[in-house]
Amino acid sequence: MRDSLTALAAALAVVLATPAAAAGQGMFEVGNPPGPGAKSWLAERATLPPYDPARMSDGRPDLRGRWGGSSSGDVIEDTEYVDVTTPAWESHVSNPAGGKLPYQPWALAARDAHRAGLARGWPGETGDRLHLDPQTFCVKSAPRYAQRGFDLAQTPDHVAMMLNWGHVHRSIPIAADSAHPTSAATFWMGSPRGHWEGDTLVVEVTNINGKMWLDSVGNFYSDNARVVERFRLVSANQIDYEVRIEDPTVFTEPVTLSYDLQRDGTGPRLGGGAGGGTPGPYASESWEHACHEGNTHHVQEVHVLGFKWYKGAVRPE
Amino acid sequence: MEGRKFRQLMFALAVVVASAVPAAGQTVYTPARTQDGQPDLQGIWQVVNTAAWNIEDHNASLGVPAGRAVVDGDGTIPYQPWALEQRNENYANRATLDPENSCFTSGVPRITYMPYPFQIIQQPDKVNILYEYNHSLRHIYMNGNPHPEGPINWWMGDSRGTWEGDTLVVDVVHFTDQTWFDRAGNFHGEGLHVVERYTPTGANHMLYEATIEDAAVFTRPWNMSMTLYRRMDPTPELLEYECYAYMIEENWPN
Repeated sequence: MRDSLTALAAALAVVLATPAAAAGQGMFEVGNPPGPGAKSWLAERATLPPYDPARMSDGRPDLRGRWGGSSSGDVIEDTEYVDVTTPAWESHVSNPAGGKLPYQPWALAARDAHRAGLARGWPGETGDRLHLDPQTFCVKSAPRYAQRGFDLAQTPDHVAMMLNWGHVHRSIPIAADSAHPTSAATFWMGSPRGHWEGDTLVVEVTNINGKMWLDSVGNFYSDNARVVERFRLVSANQIDYEVRIEDPTVFTEPVTLSYDLQRDGTGPRLGGGAGGGTPGPYASESWEHACHEGNTHHVQEVHVLGFKWYKGAVRPE
Repeated sequence: MEGRKFRQLMFALAVVVASAVPAAGQTVYTPARTQDGQPDLQGIWQVVNTAAWNIEDHNASLGVPAGRAVVDGDGTIPYQPWALEQRNENYANRATLDPENSCFTSGVPRITYMPYPFQIIQQPDKVNILYEYNHSLRHIYMNGNPHPEGPINWWMGDSRGTWEGDTLVVDVVHFTDQTWFDRAGNFHGEGLHVVERYTPTGANHMLYEATIEDAAVFTRPWNMSMTLYRRMDPTPELLEYECYAYMIEENWPN
């Protein structure tokens, strides 16, 4: 009884802290060593022998399949254990070398204000309510979609990434002879254009609306960001996933994030957004996750509590 | 010279004969195959009709183009009497009751004829449909699994596909009663059973048919049919319509 009450209290705490984001996410124990981030992955990658991937009929590497998330927790920089939603984890930032995002002074102040206003009962909070992580309203962005994992489909002219989480998808034109829209048109997921550099799929994303955070604790970029993602199979079951973020409005230099994506069912990573948790013969299927449809009370509650809608950061004049 | 003209004539005649409309039920067009050997339905598609507003015959009104029914037969839905009353009440209160106005996932078949494009991408074990509206996503599984055991209430139902020749046939069950067929209040219950048929009729056209069954609401099963058009823009792409994000932002003065 006592155990089940404790479990109930912990479950309730998770629900209250991050009602939408917590769905499908494991709970984390105190005292575990930090989870693997960029440093661990780059060290492992350096030990891998050269790999010649299986290929599609057009000769391109066959990237199809269900790929687990890029991170189990959702914090980009080094973090200590905070609570059951936020375990100790190594930074995903591989450049700059220190693992910290190279914020301009105004932007670091904005990030700290985001974090202090989360009202999650965490150390350093002001008690004020500022914003919730925008992801709790069922939106996604590039590159944060990858944190949940995805099912990748591939044709000669498109690569699609399909998340079970919130039924989010991306359709990336490959080698399309078309320019990005002007900056008048922005999107939560940005405007993607893919091409192959040897065996590496390179996706350039612009026209980002800047209304999404990079993680759940207030790290952010702006609508001036350009994101370049690089996907390369380095073994049968691992994709080296590198993200370069150029944002001269927010950062002092370009940022690189480094992850490995593990094929679903072949490693310890959760299937995350690719599905998982479905029973028996359905284990490789992604079943419906209708995020917004069940989120109405959450939206009303956080509105009443005084949180503000995050409209994107603006650099002071 | 004369012989050459004769051969040209015979060739033209052969083309005409070959492309003549065959008997009902036969497929004229043979689509290319995907790498996995399936009929290739891939690409970005959209309807050109007014079914999003009303799947029955309807007048024009402010902001609504007039349109012909996509319902087969006499163009009317065979509602049970109580359900016809319910539909009329839905119509009268559509501004608040239409699930689209809450940005909810549209359900099947409504998502097909929303005024947004969608993309079909095939994998060996399933056909995926990526919709621009609310980035809705369907996986039509063709892996041999039957529908999972219910009761299950999914906004988009559970889709299982088979090939009948070059036609993709999709059996969809496990719906909610929270979705409508259009903006005019046409509706169903959670016992809805939809069978969709996607038949390529040319390189850039598909026939879309849906059989609708719900014994609690209708007096008999009924069908709708319409043409899907391939988007022919030089470089078509899916953009994004994040309905609920726009709605929350508008309704949330900071």
